[in-house]
Amino acid sequence: MRAIAMGRGASVRAGWRRAAEAAVVLALRGATYAILLAAGFVFADIVWKGAPVVLRPTPPFVNVGFLTQAPQTLHVFEDGAGREVRLGERDFREFQARSGRAVAARSFAHAGGGIMPCIVGTVLLTLGSIAIALVLGILCAIYLSEYSRQGPFIRVVRLAIVNLAGVPSIVFGLFGFALFVLFFGWNVSLLAGWCTLAAMVLPVIITACEESLRSVPAGFREGALALGATRWQAIWTNVLPHALPGMLTSSILGITRVAGETAPIMFTAAYVIRDDLPWQGLGNAGEFFFQGVMALPYHIYYLSSKVPPNEYTRDARYGTVFVFLALVFAITLMSILLRARMRRSRPW
Amino acid sequence: MAADRHSDGVPPEGVTGADRFRVALGGCPRRRVLRLTLDAWVRTFFGGSAMVTILVLGLIMVFLFREGAGFLPEHHRSLTLYRRTGQEFVDAIRAPLADHQALNRYLGRVRASEVEGLRAAGMGEPDVREAMAAFDEFAARFRGAGQLLRDFADEAGGMALATRNASQAGETVDFVRGATALRALLPQAGVVLREFRETVEAVCAAAPAPRCDGSRRPWARFREMVGRLGASVSGAHERAMAWDPDRRVPIGESLAAFFWGRRWVTNSEWHDRYGLLPLLGGSFCISVVAIAIAVPFSVAAAIFVSQFASAAERNIVKPAIEFIAAIPSIVLGFFGITVLGSGIQWLSQQPWMSWVPFFPVSERLNILTAGLMLALMASPTIFTLAEDALDRVPRAFAEGSLALGATRLQTVIRMVVPAALSGIVAAILLGFGRVVGETMVVLLVAGNRLEIPDITLGMGVLFQPAHTMTGIIAQELGEVPRGGLHYRALFMVGVTLFALVLAINYAAERVVRRFRPARH
Repeated sequence: MRAIAMGRGASVRAGWRRAAEAAVVLALRGATYAILLAAGFVFADIVWKGAPVVLRPTPPFVNVGFLTQAPQTLHVFEDGAGREVRLGERDFREFQARSGRAVAARSFAHAGGGIMPCIVGTVLLTLGSIAIALVLGILCAIYLSEYSRQGPFIRVVRLAIVNLAGVPSIVFGLFGFALFVLFFGWNVSLLAGWCTLAAMVLPVIITACEESLRSVPAGFREGALALGATRWQAIWTNVLPHALPGMLTSSILGITRVAGETAPIMFTAAYVIRDDLPWQGLGNAGEFFFQGVMALPYHIYYLSSKVPPNEYTRDARYGTVFVFLALVFAITLMSILLRARMRRSRPW
Repeated sequence: MAADRHSDGVPPEGVTGADRFRVALGGCPRRRVLRLTLDAWVRTFFGGSAMVTILVLGLIMVFLFREGAGFLPEHHRSLTLYRRTGQEFVDAIRAPLADHQALNRYLGRVRASEVEGLRAAGMGEPDVREAMAAFDEFAARFRGAGQLLRDFADEAGGMALATRNASQAGETVDFVRGATALRALLPQAGVVLREFRETVEAVCAAAPAPRCDGSRRPWARFREMVGRLGASVSGAHERAMAWDPDRRVPIGESLAAFFWGRRWVTNSEWHDRYGLLPLLGGSFCISVVAIAIAVPFSVAAAIFVSQFASAAERNIVKPAIEFIAAIPSIVLGFFGITVLGSGIQWLSQQPWMSWVPFFPVSERLNILTAGLMLALMASPTIFTLAEDALDRVPRAFAEGSLALGATRLQTVIRMVVPAALSGIVAAILLGFGRVVGETMVVLLVAGNRLEIPDITLGMGVLFQPAHTMTGIIAQELGEVPRGGLHYRALFMVGVTLFALVLAINYAAERVVRRFRPARH
């Protein structure tokens, strides 16, 4: 009798325990999806309001003007029929010339036209800086992982690299401003931006490349060396081919970081407004490197902090953010897919 | 074998173009160029480029510290000038005025609570106005109590400012004459300060009584603050008397005034101040809020994904959260300023939300909005690292526990999480480091008010705007003249930030190393 009662009590308790456990797991799952939901909300808001600016339901399916023009002042006025018309600076002038009179309009700086110079600037900044960072980073990683002997100096270097990887990007902006812009006298220029961004991702790229070099089993090197190959031959034939995919993936991750950063280019490379594209109006080829450019992230910063928020400036802001986000996500997606493929094809 | 064939320069049969290229690059290893073998050249090349990289990374620190180090002497000069011109003396006299000003503002709050209480008691609008007449008269008299002192301080301030402006314009200035003139004011300063204090006390003695229960606490607080005003006056008197234009400013004070300075004032007519505390306080508050929001969610997500989720769910959720890390910070900042800020303000103004303390919020951009956006940014970092740490716990731990009859949850709570705790703590610390260093979100969303967040408000601190170390650099570096005190002050902020993040990362590493679980 007593035993049965105890047994029932135990089973009731076990039932409670099971319910509590299920509740806890549910809470954990809820927290997980809350993060995703929050991010999804940000993402959906930008796509919802930004996609209509950039994409079109009819061919050619994109807003060509937005992607190929420079930012202009937006003019808003009412035409004869009382409809509201929004025109960019150039179209507005044409309209005025055609109608033969001055049209009273409200104007909003930077809210019209497109973002072509920003896209070009961001692409140039990203490509240049990643090229510099990759060359220096891969060579440095090969040296550190394959050639250097362990010693106090190398340990200090490693420590510096690891720590610099965590340094805030604004600090790199500060450094780039002091060294490249002022000390070297490059002013606000593409070159200064490249070097600053490259310095920022260098530690990340070195660390990642070294890791992928070290993940190649030592036996591969030893086998080559045992067959009489020199060290370089061993690296070239037996290490690099296996480490290369990992290095490329890490470099793409570096690209995402470079493309998305604003703080380092604020004082080193970015202009608020520049109508010329980087290859226009150059005296000689050297000037190419010493010109400032517009960049997507900086343009977003400018639009959202210095331009008054209203319904007329909204399109320019959301359109820019949408294009920027699409660009960054495309690169990220590429790196994730590449990494997944690489994991599958690893030979050991 | 292979090496032999390569050294002959004869590629093996049936090789592709890529192979041939590879052979050409790797070939002829024993040929010497300038008395070095190819291998040695390669090695030198790699070493050289590594040196370039290391040089660049070294330059970062050198330049940061070089520009920052110049701050000390320059700041010292500025502080010395501040003392010699007598601005220090004038500021000492002015200090009680600031407190008086704060009291005036607080009286506004007292009045609001009185009015609210009277209205709640069912009084009509004209009656309330009549009832408050005595209060308003008192408030006006209280406000007027500072007039004499203000006039006196303005007069002295004009003299000090004239000396300072002349000195900054590069003229030869007779500091001694200016100082003597100001010193002659010392006795008068004592009289004016005492008078100020007596007037305030006399006015307060005749203060109207609280008219309702709701205003009793604000009144009590007001009296308490008035009591402190007395202490502030005697402190000001002491400091004014202690002013000595010829006393040297110790060099350490230049550093102390930076790290413990409570105000950051630039481009002012009077005296620029570079005090780190408002920035440090803002950075700290925002980061703590962000981490406090991010940790429960991201650690729970890490536990869920690594311990409870099915393989299919994990393969979707894990990359999705890691994908959040790819959202550039400027996009989050943009979202915060366009949607979240106004969203929270709108929400706080809804009648059914009025039970929440400190609602409705007056500032659209505040610590909470910045904290929320940064929490979203820190979540993937914390999640990824914490999940790694949980995954690294040896499986035997969990298996042993399960074999003894523990449930899945018991196993996770008692075995797996404690074993991974050091990794989780390190993940939180690294997330904190990342949040402290974040620039664009706080620059856009934190509200950029240069004041130390008032922690005495409790949760109300969440709805105050703040400025941060990263934000101030981003905001002001573009417009300062090179090499000036302001420029160097920004570099000092950068150096501090650098050191702070380094310390946090170092702490994270120590935590991991110290509490690494025993492996069997």
